[in-house]
Amino acid sequence: MTGNRNRLINAALKLHIAACVIFIFAPILGSFVFSLNSDRFPSLPLGHFSTEWYRLIWEDPFVWAGFFNTVVVGLIVAVIATVLGFGGAYTDFRYNFFGKNIYLALALLPPTIPVVIMGLAMLAFLSRVNLSGSTISIIIAHGVMCSPFAMAIIRLRLSQMDPDLEAAAWNLGGNEWATLRHVIIPFTKPALFAALFITMAVSFDEFAVAWFVSGLNETLPVKILGFLQGQVSPRINAIGSLAFVSSITLIILAQMLLRNSSKDKS
Amino acid sequence: MTMHMNTDAIVKLDGVVKQFGTFTAVERVDFEIGRGEFLAIMGSSGCGKTTTLRMLAGLDDPTEGDIWLDGERVNGKATWDRDTPMVWQSLALFPFLTVQENVEFSLKMRGVGKTERIARARNWLDKMQILEFADRNISQLSGGQRQRVALARALVTEPKILLLDEPLSALDAHLKVRMQAVLSSLQKDLGITFVYVTHSMSEAFSMADRVVIMSRGKIEQIGSPQEIYHAPRNRFVAEFLGSSNIFTGRLVEKSGDDWLVETVHGRFAVTASNAPAKSLGDAVTFTVSAENMHISPEGAHTPGIRAKVVGEEFVGATAIVFLETETGEELKVQKSHVELTSVNLHPGSTLNLHWESHSCHVLPGE
Amino acid sequence: MTRSRPSLFSLVLSLPLLIWQVAFFLFPLIFLVAISFWTVRNFQMTPDLNFGNWDRILTRGTFWDAYARTAMLATASAALTSAIAFPAAYAISFKLSERAKQWLVFVLIIPFFTSYLVRVYSLQVFLSDAGIINAFLDMFGIGPFLMLNTTFGTLVGMVTLCLPLVILLQVFSLNFVNRDFVEAAHNLRCGRLRTVLAVIVPSARVGLVIAALFAFILSFGDFVSPLYLGGGNPPTLSIMITDITKSGQQWPRAAVVALMMIGTLLTVAFGAITYAYKERGK
Repeated sequence: MTGNRNRLINAALKLHIAACVIFIFAPILGSFVFSLNSDRFPSLPLGHFSTEWYRLIWEDPFVWAGFFNTVVVGLIVAVIATVLGFGGAYTDFRYNFFGKNIYLALALLPPTIPVVIMGLAMLAFLSRVNLSGSTISIIIAHGVMCSPFAMAIIRLRLSQMDPDLEAAAWNLGGNEWATLRHVIIPFTKPALFAALFITMAVSFDEFAVAWFVSGLNETLPVKILGFLQGQVSPRINAIGSLAFVSSITLIILAQMLLRNSSKDKS
Repeated sequence: MTMHMNTDAIVKLDGVVKQFGTFTAVERVDFEIGRGEFLAIMGSSGCGKTTTLRMLAGLDDPTEGDIWLDGERVNGKATWDRDTPMVWQSLALFPFLTVQENVEFSLKMRGVGKTERIARARNWLDKMQILEFADRNISQLSGGQRQRVALARALVTEPKILLLDEPLSALDAHLKVRMQAVLSSLQKDLGITFVYVTHSMSEAFSMADRVVIMSRGKIEQIGSPQEIYHAPRNRFVAEFLGSSNIFTGRLVEKSGDDWLVETVHGRFAVTASNAPAKSLGDAVTFTVSAENMHISPEGAHTPGIRAKVVGEEFVGATAIVFLETETGEELKVQKSHVELTSVNLHPGSTLNLHWESHSCHVLPGE
Repeated sequence: MTRSRPSLFSLVLSLPLLIWQVAFFLFPLIFLVAISFWTVRNFQMTPDLNFGNWDRILTRGTFWDAYARTAMLATASAALTSAIAFPAAYAISFKLSERAKQWLVFVLIIPFFTSYLVRVYSLQVFLSDAGIINAFLDMFGIGPFLMLNTTFGTLVGMVTLCLPLVILLQVFSLNFVNRDFVEAAHNLRCGRLRTVLAVIVPSARVGLVIAALFAFILSFGDFVSPLYLGGGNPPTLSIMITDITKSGQQWPRAAVVALMMIGTLLTVAFGAITYAYKERGK
């Protein structure tokens, strides 16, 4: 009696998980399906299979320019955020100092501020210091938003390190710089790559700040916003699907690196 | 300041104090370590032994006092500028390097060329009998093999001194004994100084030439294992060794070395050879080691203390019997199993304990 | 190693991030405070100490209407998301195998790396009058329902945004609930539902509150869902900011709205965290 009821409840709970996953992924999968559909505004029953929207973005030079900008910005942001995040993570790992809480708050808080507000604040500030409207301004804004992610990933890896490892390297004759190069960086290498990939993915996706801050040099998400504000075009689905596939590739790479590295924490 | 540096001493600690914030880890420690000596620093956790070792290594800087290493005052000298390699409790082998790369590490840090580096590392791997594992990852090695890698890595620069921080504590009992033998013979062959921190009395006493016993940041006693074992300086050391019964009382009669001490258990004759001068009425603490205690069935008209059996513990061919006196103190007796069959040993049974006066050792530091 | 003053090494590692975040995160926010007192003349911002912007925004009914609407939407989204997420998080944490758990966590991370905007555009197709859902319901002769450009539409978007994060945060906090407590409760004849309410929810309270707080923060600042699924009219605070910014140089007024939002978020965050930890320490 109770057994049956328990089984029923467990089944209902698992069904609920499935419903949540479907709810979360329906728009993502929908966007894939719509991108390969001939209808301008798809509904049931679906129209026939078509690669028309991919052909259109393939032939659109603005999309290419936006894509090129997105990749360049993503690469530069990934490197900057990973370097900054590494420094922050190591500082948190190694040092205790007066005002450390403030340091950590400054380092980690940006993602909790609504992007609209961050966008406005940066637009106002960067235009004042003559940095708005350029690719540099996007890089700066994305650096702020992405470095906390990099810092968190690298800090997690450092916490897996035997605290004696660094002292052992000093003791064996390596000064702090040599130890950083020969011990800390090799140890955190998987996390460094994971941070590079993940910050790049975040940068690909972070359109609102870019939209506010940038002028002419649009990145791909800004381009998407342009489509949305103008007439609705299913091209957004094609672009979104491509961006999704590239982001997911980066995430899976990062995940694989982190999985493998946690095995040899010794 | 003039230094009276013993020419045979490689290390000298002079009034060394180490504070972490308001906590004093090491409180005014003075001692010297001889060239080629195997010195063990022993104590329970938090006694300051590891901090002392880390100050020798240059990983911590003393708050006060001076540390002299091979005739040079090394306060403030970074660990990477000293040649004081350490073997860590966790071993701290680099998991991302192979066995050989681990051993090469300190040579690489010193800018030794690649060919020479490889040759010297392989030489040490060979000495430690792990050359066949040179290209393995650390994770592929057993506990004992890792131990040997850690030793090779520390010794590859052929230092004058090697610091070891509880290196055997992670090994199982069998391997521990084998590694003790390896360490002992290694130290004798190389003729260099070993400073060995441990909480294990058996490790310290079986390997070391001299033992330093520390507690709460202070040195309780320094001496050879025999000296410490047979003549503990104070109650702390006697209790730490754990093999003696401790009695306190008052000196009531004295003729030369023959003392009579009055305790709660009665008056006992004590042969006070090498004891400090005491006058009548002074407090006296003496120990009698568990193996020098005799037991006899209750009722026999022998002098001594009546005590109740509370438990028994087997230690190889002998057993330690724990007893409780009428005043509530715990006493112990260590005897062979054969000797113990002559008495009634059930928990709760009462026995008589006695000892010879020359088995007593008066604690000079009390 | 005791250091009386910071070494060059420590400065080289710690300062770049600090400088970057002070220059490009803290300064812009401080600058936002400053320009909220500036005045705009001939489409040019001029430094000033003028309370006119504050006065103008804070005395307008439209601002307070938008403020109330945004706060209600964010609260509803936080409550709704938490309620939908909890049974799923509970099942993931307590009912699934270790392997299935890891897989689901990975699956739930994926949405963070898809464009929210693309997802919302896709939802438009699902929710519109002649969209997927209404066409599906029509096969059974139900509907059509008005879903796009309604509060319902906005909430669907916000829940899409928040649900993965809230489930993950709830799973993490539920993973820390001592399994012995649960068995002890069962052993003491505490029923299944009562165990959840009397033992599991209080034990995981901090995590549950923080998950809801994140949902509130995300929804409060979101402008994509209210704009593209809710129709954008009447506006929320985020839409107000974008409208004011796009329609000329009235940035000082947008700054006032932004600062009001930050103030609200800080107050809510502080309140929620105090509440979460006070209950725990009792």
